[in-house]
Amino acid sequence: MNLPTEWYQIWAFAARSLIVNRRNVFAVFEMLFWPGVAILSVGLLTRFLNLDSDTVSFILIGVVSMNTIQIAQLDLSYSLLYDVWSKSLKHAFIAPVRLGHLILGAGLVGLARGLFIFVVMGLLSQQLFAMELGRPGVAGLVIFLAGLFLNAAIIGISVLILVLRFGHRAEVAAWAFSYLLFLLCGLYYPVTILPTGVQWLAWFLPLTHFLDYFRQFYGFPASSARPLLYGFTQSLAYLALSYVGLRLVLNKSRRRGTLLKLSE
Amino acid sequence: MPPAILAQGVVKAFPAKWFKPPLEVLKGVDLTVPAGRIFGILGPNAAGKTTLISILATLLLPDAGRVEVLGLDVVRQAQLLRRRINLASAGAHFLWCLTVEENLAFCGRLYGLGGRVLRRRVAELLELFELTEYRRVTFDNLSTGLKQRLALAKTLINDPELLFLDEPTSGLDPEMARHLREEIARLNRETGLTILLTTHNLREAEILCHEVAFLKDGVLAVHGTIPELQARLGLGDRVRLRFAGAPPALDYARLPGVLAAEVTDAQVTLVLDRAEVRLGPLLALLSHNGAPPVSVRLKEADLEELYHELAH
Repeated sequence: MNLPTEWYQIWAFAARSLIVNRRNVFAVFEMLFWPGVAILSVGLLTRFLNLDSDTVSFILIGVVSMNTIQIAQLDLSYSLLYDVWSKSLKHAFIAPVRLGHLILGAGLVGLARGLFIFVVMGLLSQQLFAMELGRPGVAGLVIFLAGLFLNAAIIGISVLILVLRFGHRAEVAAWAFSYLLFLLCGLYYPVTILPTGVQWLAWFLPLTHFLDYFRQFYGFPASSARPLLYGFTQSLAYLALSYVGLRLVLNKSRRRGTLLKLSE
Repeated sequence: MPPAILAQGVVKAFPAKWFKPPLEVLKGVDLTVPAGRIFGILGPNAAGKTTLISILATLLLPDAGRVEVLGLDVVRQAQLLRRRINLASAGAHFLWCLTVEENLAFCGRLYGLGGRVLRRRVAELLELFELTEYRRVTFDNLSTGLKQRLALAKTLINDPELLFLDEPTSGLDPEMARHLREEIARLNRETGLTILLTTHNLREAEILCHEVAFLKDGVLAVHGTIPELQARLGLGDRVRLRFAGAPPALDYARLPGVLAAEVTDAQVTLVLDRAEVRLGPLLALLSHNGAPPVSVRLKEADLEELYHELAH
C-alpha cells in the first residue's frame, strides 16, 4: 500500500466535495438555515410549554443530534449523486479507486461540517435556551459525537446503495431514510412511549443507545445498563453490513450495466 | 510482443423487464488488438460497441468468455488494470460546477496523483490540448468542442498504455472532429499508445485506424484493414477507361489491386482497391501496350457502400 497514493485518492472526493460546497451558495444556506430554524422553533416551543431545564435539554439534544447527522451524511450521500446528476459516474469507476476512498473522502468533509453544526447548534442552545452542552464533559461529548458520526456514515452508505441501485430516483431517499430513523430512535421523546413492537425495533437502532447515553447526563436514566456497548456494537455491525452491501450493489451494477446507464 | 487486448468468446446479455428473455448483446466476440495500433470497432447503432468497450475497460462484467487487457484479466485483475488504461465516451460529462483545471485535478487524484506531480501533469495536459486559457472556466460554460477536448485530456491524466475511445467525435462539428482525429493520430504516432475506438463513421475509421473489426449481431463479422475489407467484399475505387478503339488484350482481373474488371467494346471498367496507388502503374502499362486510354473517369470507393455491405 502506497500511503501518499491512497491519501490522494481519498482527497479526490474530499476536495471535490469542498469545492462543490464552497461554490454552491445553497449548500451553505442549507447547512446553516435549517439547523438554525430547527433549534429556534423547538427551543421556543419548549419555552412556550414552560418545560423544566432538563426536559428542554432532552428535547434540544434531539434537535442537535438530528441536524448533526443530517449534515454529516449529506456529503457521503451526495458523493455519487453528483456523478449521477452530471452523468460522470464512469470517471470514478474506471479509475483504480476503491469504495473506501470514496467513503473516507466524502465522509471527512461530512464529519467537518457535522462538527461545525454541532458546535454552532450547541452554542445557540446554550446562549438562547440555557442548555448546558458541556455538562457531559469532553469525554462524554467526544463519545456522543463519535456515535452520531457513525450513524451518519451508516445512513450515507445506505443512500449510496440506493443511488447505485436506483440512480436519480434515490434522491428522495437521501432525506427520507434518515427521517424514518429519527422517528424510531426517540429523538424528541423516550422510546418507551412508542408502541411495544416499534420499541423493540428502536432498540436495534444505535442512535437510540447514543441518545440514551447522552441524556443520562441531564437526569434521564438510561434504559439499558450498557448503552455505549450496544450503540458501538450495533454501529460497527451496521457499518460493516452496509459496506458489504455497497460492494455487492457495485458488483451487481457492473454486471447489470447500471453503471453505464447512470452515465448516460 | 503480446497483444494489448485478447478476448475470446465474450458473451454479454442484459436482463429484460417483466419475464422477457435477457437481451443478448454480445454472442461470443473474439478479438485480438496488437499493441501500439489504433484499432477501430465499427458497427451500426445498438450493435454492442459500447458494451464491448465497457467490458474491456472494466466498467462491465462479461457473462462468459476470457478477456485479457495488457496481459491482465479484466475481472480478476481489474484494479491493477485500471491504473494502466483510460476511457473517453461520446458526449463528455464532468461535474458541472468544477472548472477545467479542477476536473482534471479530480481525475488525477483518482489515480493517486497529488502535489507537484499533479499540478505539473494538469498544466501539461492543459497546454497539450490548448485548454490553458479555459482552465478557470466551469464545465457547464464550455462549448461542446472544448468539453470533448477536456474529455480527451482527462484520458491521459494517468499516462495510460491503452486508451478506449467510445465514438470520440460523435456530436462534434466537422472542423472540431477533424482536429480531434488529428490529436488521436498524433498521440498514437508520438507515444505509441494503443487506442481502441468505436465509431460508426467509416471515413473516420479509414483515416485513423490501422485495423478495424465490424461488430454485427453480437459477433465480430470481419476484421482487417479497410482496403482488405474492401478487397474481400469487392468494393473499391471505380475507374472507367475509354479507348479510341478496342482495349488492349490484357487479363485485367489479374492485374495488381484489381478487385473486379469488365471489358466492353471500347471501354474497361475496373474496381481498384486503392486508385491513388494503382492508377499510375496501370496507365503506364496501357501506354506500354500502345493503347493509352482517351479518357479516364474515377469514382472513389463509396465507404457507405462498404458499411452497408457489412451491416446487412
